[in-house]
Amino acid sequence: MGVRIIKNECAEGEDKMNFWEKITGSDMRKELKTFDSRVKKLPAAYQAAWENIIANLWPHADFTGRNLIPILDGVLGLLEESASDGQRVQEVLNDDIKGFCSALAGEEGAKSFRDKWREQLNNNISKILGKAGK
Amino acid sequence: MLKGVLEGCVLEIISHEEIYGYEITRRLKALGFSDVVEGTVYTILVRLEKNELVNIEKKPSDAGPPRKCYTLNAAGREELRRFWEKWEFVSSKMNALKEKTK
Repeated sequence: MGVRIIKNECAEGEDKMNFWEKITGSDMRKELKTFDSRVKKLPAAYQAAWENIIANLWPHADFTGRNLIPILDGVLGLLEESASDGQRVQEVLNDDIKGFCSALAGEEGAKSFRDKWREQLNNNISKILGKAGK
Repeated sequence: MLKGVLEGCVLEIISHEEIYGYEITRRLKALGFSDVVEGTVYTILVRLEKNELVNIEKKPSDAGPPRKCYTLNAAGREELRRFWEKWEFVSSKMNALKEKTK
């Protein structure tokens, strides 16, 4: 439910959010700060994994990175649950953080910069080909 | 292929009772999918949630943060039915192929 709740909050928040908050991203900074305090409560190995996850998810961010907030919230929830179960982080993510992140970004429909460029390129080429065909 | 099969397994496991992520992973391991980790199950659960096949309830736990508990909704049950249909088809064809080439 966590992901959905956050999404709703974002949607509601967006109505109330003023232009200034949006442009400076101060609303996001608040979220990221809450994440930080949650991360600090995790075991060290989990904290390292979190850093790694952020690094691997970042290329999937949109212009502001706002699309990553609900994804990160969900992942943090997973880490918190697993840590309190006493699992080792390697057991949870199988040392394949890169694969985990790309699967996650794919499920959430977050495209990477490269996907967007590829799409743009494909569109351009098909436009050109379309014109040439006429 | 394994990804689709795993999704079917997760749907089947959730269909029996309300259950949370770690327990789902444990059941899969007990079934013999020993290299399945919670991260894998989590990405499947995210997909099920996005496709609105599961209901999620956050329940407080004795120790640690509240857990997300999953149950199947009507759309999820329909998806599970379709999974077994596809599985029947694929496995019957595979068996037929194996028999023929023997």
